[in-house]
Amino acid sequence: MFRLYSIVAIGLLLFAVGMLGVEEVNAGHHEVKIGVLHSLSGTMAISETSLRDVVLMAVEEINAAGGVMGKQIAPVVVDPASDWDLFTEKAKDLIIKEEVAVVFGCWTSVSRKSVLPVFEEHNALLFYPVQYEGEEQSLNVFYTAATPNQQLIPAAEYMMEEVGAKKFYLLGTDYVFPRTANKVLKAYLKTKGVPDENIVEEYTPFHHQDYQTIVGKIKKFAAGGDACVLSTINGDSNVPFYKEFANQGLTSDDCPIMAFSVAEDELRAMDVPPLVGHLAAWNYFQSINTPENKKFVKNFKAFCDANNLPGGSKRVTDDPIEAAYFGVYVWKAAVEKAGSFDVDKVREAVYGLEFDAPGGKKMMHANNQHTLKPVYIGEIKKNGQFKIIYKSDGLVSPDSFSRYLHPDGNYPAPTGGPKEKVGM
Amino acid sequence: MKAGIEQKLCSLTHLLTLSPFSSFSGLPVFSPAIFFRFTLHVSHDEPMKPPYNSMPKIFRILPLIFLQIIGILYPCLAEVDDAFIRSEVHKLTDEDASTRKDAIMTLAQSGDLRVEAILESYKLSEFYLWDGRVVLCTETIEDEDFNEFCLLSDLLTGEPILDENGQQVQILLEDLEEISPSRAERKLSNSAKFLVRLSSPDPEPRMSGVKKCGDPPGIIEAVPQLEEMAQNDPVKKIRYIAKESLLLIRLSRTSLEQDLDAHLEIVRELGSMKSLRGLPRLQEMFDELMIKVEALPDFEEGTDIEDLEPADAEALGIYKYAIAYKYAINQINNYQGFVGGVGNIFRGLSLGSVLILMALGLAITFGLMGVINMAHGELMMIGAYATFEMQRLFGHAPDNPSDWYYVAALPVSFLTAAFVGYLMEVLVVRHFYRRPLESLLATWGIGLVLIQLVRIRYGDNIGVNAPTWARGGLEVVQDLIVPYSRCFIILLCGLCVLLIYYLMNYTKLGLRMRATMQNRNMANSMGVNTQRVDRYTFAFGSGIAGVAGYAWTLIGGVTPDMGQNNFIIDSFLVVVTGGVGELIGVICAGLGIGVLMKVIEPLGIGSMVVGAIWAKILLLIIIVGFIQFKPVGLFAPKGRLSDV
Repeated sequence: MFRLYSIVAIGLLLFAVGMLGVEEVNAGHHEVKIGVLHSLSGTMAISETSLRDVVLMAVEEINAAGGVMGKQIAPVVVDPASDWDLFTEKAKDLIIKEEVAVVFGCWTSVSRKSVLPVFEEHNALLFYPVQYEGEEQSLNVFYTAATPNQQLIPAAEYMMEEVGAKKFYLLGTDYVFPRTANKVLKAYLKTKGVPDENIVEEYTPFHHQDYQTIVGKIKKFAAGGDACVLSTINGDSNVPFYKEFANQGLTSDDCPIMAFSVAEDELRAMDVPPLVGHLAAWNYFQSINTPENKKFVKNFKAFCDANNLPGGSKRVTDDPIEAAYFGVYVWKAAVEKAGSFDVDKVREAVYGLEFDAPGGKKMMHANNQHTLKPVYIGEIKKNGQFKIIYKSDGLVSPDSFSRYLHPDGNYPAPTGGPKEKVGM
Repeated sequence: MKAGIEQKLCSLTHLLTLSPFSSFSGLPVFSPAIFFRFTLHVSHDEPMKPPYNSMPKIFRILPLIFLQIIGILYPCLAEVDDAFIRSEVHKLTDEDASTRKDAIMTLAQSGDLRVEAILESYKLSEFYLWDGRVVLCTETIEDEDFNEFCLLSDLLTGEPILDENGQQVQILLEDLEEISPSRAERKLSNSAKFLVRLSSPDPEPRMSGVKKCGDPPGIIEAVPQLEEMAQNDPVKKIRYIAKESLLLIRLSRTSLEQDLDAHLEIVRELGSMKSLRGLPRLQEMFDELMIKVEALPDFEEGTDIEDLEPADAEALGIYKYAIAYKYAINQINNYQGFVGGVGNIFRGLSLGSVLILMALGLAITFGLMGVINMAHGELMMIGAYATFEMQRLFGHAPDNPSDWYYVAALPVSFLTAAFVGYLMEVLVVRHFYRRPLESLLATWGIGLVLIQLVRIRYGDNIGVNAPTWARGGLEVVQDLIVPYSRCFIILLCGLCVLLIYYLMNYTKLGLRMRATMQNRNMANSMGVNTQRVDRYTFAFGSGIAGVAGYAWTLIGGVTPDMGQNNFIIDSFLVVVTGGVGELIGVICAGLGIGVLMKVIEPLGIGSMVVGAIWAKILLLIIIVGFIQFKPVGLFAPKGRLSDV
């Protein structure tokens, strides 16, 4: 039944797009198309819609300032509906039918892994704006968010050195990011001499809601006063977890929780008082105190308000939103540097590119696909914002493959890249 | 950087410390500050002017007036106090590390609550030296040439420092000298912060202060104050923790060799207090001792240390320790085992009550009426969103609590969900009474529509803030905390069960409902408007689902698809296991599944623990097995009903 509906819906959509295409023929010379591949319905809509919004905002700004190399950007927004197969399909549509110059999109690792073969086969370009588990290096993707060593390792180090934690409770949702993240964390903690019995690793299913037993365990684990939780709990499970934690009488003084998947956007949906004082590690916070950032936050709120997006002026910015936003500007700068929209030329131009992001100066790595970023640790405040309590000295260089998982230094070669011009 | 309320609070605490006694350290408990606890609390509410504050206005104003008078009476004293703090803060700029360290400790022991904020700013390197004076800078601005300017504030009050034109002073960042603490100093000021909290008039910060002063490595400077508090603090729990912290500090300071008896006394005391916090320390030291014991010549593998007969005096000493340690550890472990057992039962009950509440509505719509209502979870979601709407209407926020919203939300969530259920019945469900499979698809579709409607309206997941009385929990016995929110849900669940029981068995509507469900034609011929009864029954079941969603907001998150993610499967599981059509079945199945789940989850051998994922899998296997033997569930309907 749904198949039928969705086929009809897709048919209508294609028809509509086709109609638009007719007009574009005339305007084609003054426009360059880009793809926006974020879920606007389904489970991931909660997070991904904001990224679509901010990409459109960046496009609007760039167009208002004269576009890229004199061409206006025409964004093609598609909705893969949190469905991994649909991601592949939509990516193909964007690359083959729409012939977009670049795609901005994906959130979950599984969606990225689903579209990766498409991008590599057609030698297209994807900007991926969310922190992830690393262990990947495709020449067809630029990763504008953190690798594990830009988020996990500094956070664990902070807990050890500044907070004085000696025992670590690694708690996560059961899927690829927490599993890999905890593998990296465990390897790191072991190199720092933390004994096995001081590390507990535990996973809960997606949408897990009953954290009574786990919090009870943490309470016992943290009784000595030198333990912390490193949390990779994802999505709606965070709410019952923090609530239970506070209700059983635990505070951030007893056992601080360092979260890797809780940002300002997620805090909007939470009952904040139980979270006050707990920590999160990111490369950007809305509370970064610079004029550029204040302007960015103001613009984003105004953009959401003006376009009648849900939440309106109450919207907040966070790490993935910033990463998605500056991704568009990085691409623009690279195109202008290369003087061409050709993927291979743009790719070469991206390497080593320095640029101003809302959160401060950043840089693309000279020979891998990731971004050099500062690391921040923030403490949750009552108003749902973070108070920055730690900032790394300068930018932290990204590791595509964790040195803790590959102690021998044998890193796999990058995949994808330029194609021989035979079939094209 | 600071919010308005915090500043207000800051200036109030400022006033508070103007009283002659409260800055007198060492006797915080008796200081008049304790009488102003009330006032401190009020200062949260005061600037916000909540529309539904339960406290009469006069009570809010009186202490304020009182404070104002004190403030006027003792202005000079405050000056002295402030000057002292300022001079100590200035010492933080000293070249000599030990002077800086002393300054941190002196500040912490001053008993002035503002010191906590000062230490926090110091830790975050927000202090700068400007013109020989320590100033606070939390905000910088940039001009066109990218020169960064600091906006200066006073280190004590946080108020902006003004120049002669009344503008906040801005100084080029390079012209200021940053006071940046070393890592050791950051750590020290972090723990010194807890020393400050010992003097707090609020029990909560005092509790955290008392606790952290005893956590390793322990703050030796806190000992006199802890001793005082262990005796005289008005809160029993704080007295207990203070004693525990004292013992822990002493435990780490008295070595085994020097003072044998004193050391053993501490160990015994910790054991008899059943101190959970002491357990890791004791265990650690016991393990060290056991290595020594095993190295002794007369030690044999596998024997209990109590049975060993020491050969010489040295061995006797070591055995004595080991036995004392072992005894204390056993004492604590036994108690923890007891608490863990009781805790598991409570957790099971609590999970069970949530499950029952979820399934009650379904027991009516599915159990009695036979409609496979896949939109049941969405009806709960609507109840949760109705609660959110009430919160918005009442303007309830963490800073500005108006707890009545939650009381008002109970009928509203019931009525909203019931109304939606009513519409569902009239528009869709009634056409499918004889076609259960189609009703499954139709209600599933309705569920999807409802999810998307709510998503369009609210856009995103939203936060329902629990009312203040549902925060925290009650410590029934030591180390067993029962959260208020969970107690409330157990109670609400009991009430709903009673309500349904009463409605079904003692009211006319209930009689008609039962008649219709048992034999529609007969009921019809006896003058019962069965169509109307259907509508009411379905609306009632939906309303109960709404109440479940309402209760859920206390313990879980609220998202448009919460029904599909969290509720629908569990609800059907409970109803089917319990036996379709029987209220008692739902109760037994809900409690059974809840307790079973919570008993399985913590089970394990050594480091291998079942955990949340496997507990769920095991539970499903058990239920599948159970259904094999009793396909009709725990309580099968008997008689005519069973034929339907």
